[in-house]
Amino acid sequence: MSNAFDFPGGIYPPERKQRSNQSALIETPLPRRVTLPLQQHSGQPAKPCVAQGNAVKVGSVIAKREGMVSSALHASISGTVSEVSTTQISIEGDGQDEWLRLPPLVWQNVEPHALLERLNESGIVGLGGAGFPTHIKARVVEQHTIHTLVINAAECEPYITADDLTLRHYANEVLEGAQIIAKLCGAQHIVIGIEDNKPEAIDALKQALTNSQPVPVELAVIATRYPSGGERQLIKKLLDLNVPSGGLPADVGVLCHNPGTLLAILHAVRDGQPLVSRVVTLTGEAITQPGNRWVRLGTSVRELLEQAGLNTPELHQVIQGGPMMGTPLLTLDTPVTKLTNCLIAATLEELPPPPAESPCIRCGECESVCPVALLPQQLHWYARAQDDAKLERYHLFDCIECGACSYVCPSHIPLVVDYREAKSRLRLQRIETAKAEHAKHRFEFRQARLAREEAEKQARKQARQAQQRRPSNTAATNSEKVDLRGLRIAHAAAKASVKKAEKTLARVAQEDPKQSLDDLEMQLATAQENLKAAELQLAQAREQQSNEESP
Amino acid sequence: MNSTIDIIGILSAVAVLTGLGIGFGALLGLVSERFKREDNPLVEQIDALLPQTQCGQCGYPGCRPYAEAINQGDALNKCPPGGEATIHALADLLGRDPEPLDGEAQSEAKVAFIREAECIGCTKCIQACPVDAIIGAAKLMHTVIEDECTGCDLCLDPCPVDCIDMLPRSAPLTQWQPVVAHSSNMIASDRQPASRVS
Repeated sequence: MSNAFDFPGGIYPPERKQRSNQSALIETPLPRRVTLPLQQHSGQPAKPCVAQGNAVKVGSVIAKREGMVSSALHASISGTVSEVSTTQISIEGDGQDEWLRLPPLVWQNVEPHALLERLNESGIVGLGGAGFPTHIKARVVEQHTIHTLVINAAECEPYITADDLTLRHYANEVLEGAQIIAKLCGAQHIVIGIEDNKPEAIDALKQALTNSQPVPVELAVIATRYPSGGERQLIKKLLDLNVPSGGLPADVGVLCHNPGTLLAILHAVRDGQPLVSRVVTLTGEAITQPGNRWVRLGTSVRELLEQAGLNTPELHQVIQGGPMMGTPLLTLDTPVTKLTNCLIAATLEELPPPPAESPCIRCGECESVCPVALLPQQLHWYARAQDDAKLERYHLFDCIECGACSYVCPSHIPLVVDYREAKSRLRLQRIETAKAEHAKHRFEFRQARLAREEAEKQARKQARQAQQRRPSNTAATNSEKVDLRGLRIAHAAAKASVKKAEKTLARVAQEDPKQSLDDLEMQLATAQENLKAAELQLAQAREQQSNEESP
Repeated sequence: MNSTIDIIGILSAVAVLTGLGIGFGALLGLVSERFKREDNPLVEQIDALLPQTQCGQCGYPGCRPYAEAINQGDALNKCPPGGEATIHALADLLGRDPEPLDGEAQSEAKVAFIREAECIGCTKCIQACPVDAIIGAAKLMHTVIEDECTGCDLCLDPCPVDCIDMLPRSAPLTQWQPVVAHSSNMIASDRQPASRVS
């Protein structure tokens, strides 16, 4: 191991990976029916582009990308669309498993934009858990230079073995997928971060590394400790780089990908196969045949667990994801999505419900295990007291919700639940503030427009009066002294504010092209309306003055 | 000899200080003219705390006029959409005592909804809307852009056929708030004996 740096904190929960990593990776039987939610990724939900009764093949696009951060969705079985609702699409299978593939690409020879387009149309998202659309992630090179690609195979959470099994079976393919991404983002190194509790996957990788690699690949075996698979923690551990608070790994020139994602990328590019299936770990004491399966997206969790020998009377709860960060499922009639990496069917003895919460005794245990070096008990008090300013100051949004603090808490306080709640409350508050700001700009624009309309009306009135006056040749009746100087100053100020608004708009547009510019455009329009009104008033006053002088 | 030096010294000191006074006075005067602000920064800060519904329930035509009025010494408690939170924020900012809300607080965020079948296309609500959130034209049906509506009620009164309802604002799933019931942080020995298994 050439690099070994360390992140603070961390815990050693029981691994319990033995249960699912003993059997080989197999395919599940084709489901008769799939339900595909439109939002299986972060960002905007996809927009359906099929109607009820349409015939689809495996890989047909059924929902298109909507907005910037979003991802396409494909049919995972062939058959007919039985239902299209606002949140999901259901497909009734015909059992034929007919495929609709895109033309294969030789990634060494194609242009980067063709690769990006392929990632986009294949609907690939990060399969590690966050589900960030991969084509957006690959486009960071437009703003950042990337020097290292990290393959995050740490898989630090207990129970989960999906990446382990993926690497054992597809080490070569994963490395090839990594080469595609390295070419796309211009990385000069690839580092594989893997915990030392996966010896077979490490052997498979060593074997695969004997083949020639265009971009040098380094295998870094790290000690097993939760949460070394966190993006920031892994980057710190492998490269000794600190991702800034609120920043992305790209800010320090690193891109992080999960082996499963890299495999999906290779399948999309080399075989033209969109993301329609993924590896899911089925484990827990309540199923008799645990292991890892290739599962078509949209398969019902109940069907999947029953195939694995679900022992219903013993079942206490099913957790989607790992035991530390996963969420308990309220119903088994829910589909497997792009983000489902593990399903734990746990018995009551295996994962007992936590004991009742006691008051915090300020032992400081949580602070010593926090991998981000936050102060969990301070955050706990402030979250309960809804002290938003303090929460921001104690960097609540840097919390990765790993659950290490809740795990060690001797008072069994569900700390992460508090943080999640506080985070969502703060996020909502930010949305509300932005909305109020937007309403303010619209109000100001309306005021400016009304002022301009009023000025135009005045101008027309005056023009009419002037026309009537000329034939009769009477002297100007309006003897009111015009404040030409004041109007000129107002005009200059309006002009300056238009220029300022234009400048701000241009600067922000250049800095961050993804950001919504609606409000700035509105401000510019408001300034322009004000300028028009000022111009009209000035012109009117000048004319009035010349009328007074000339006759 | 000494006395003349003293007089010169005193005079020069007075002259220097007077000169400095005049110089800095002129500088300050120039600066205050040159960098004069039309708007009052405190008004901006007050305006930022108001909810920007532009509803006029405070008696002023919009949030900014109310912000200006507060700056002139008007009461802080005239904003029902903002509720207690806004009153406390304003009291903090201005160093005044918070007062109880004058009026009824809104229980939930609302938006206007036009029953389109009944709309006669009079454009009266369009003219009343402070944020241009209603689209339509004379003798054509009108409708409310939900995302832009601030729920200010101002369109209700002008409508001659009463076809506008105030409905609760729909929240997307991404804005869902978890419902967490915290157990009361009681001291262990104070807990009900029922929870103890003996």
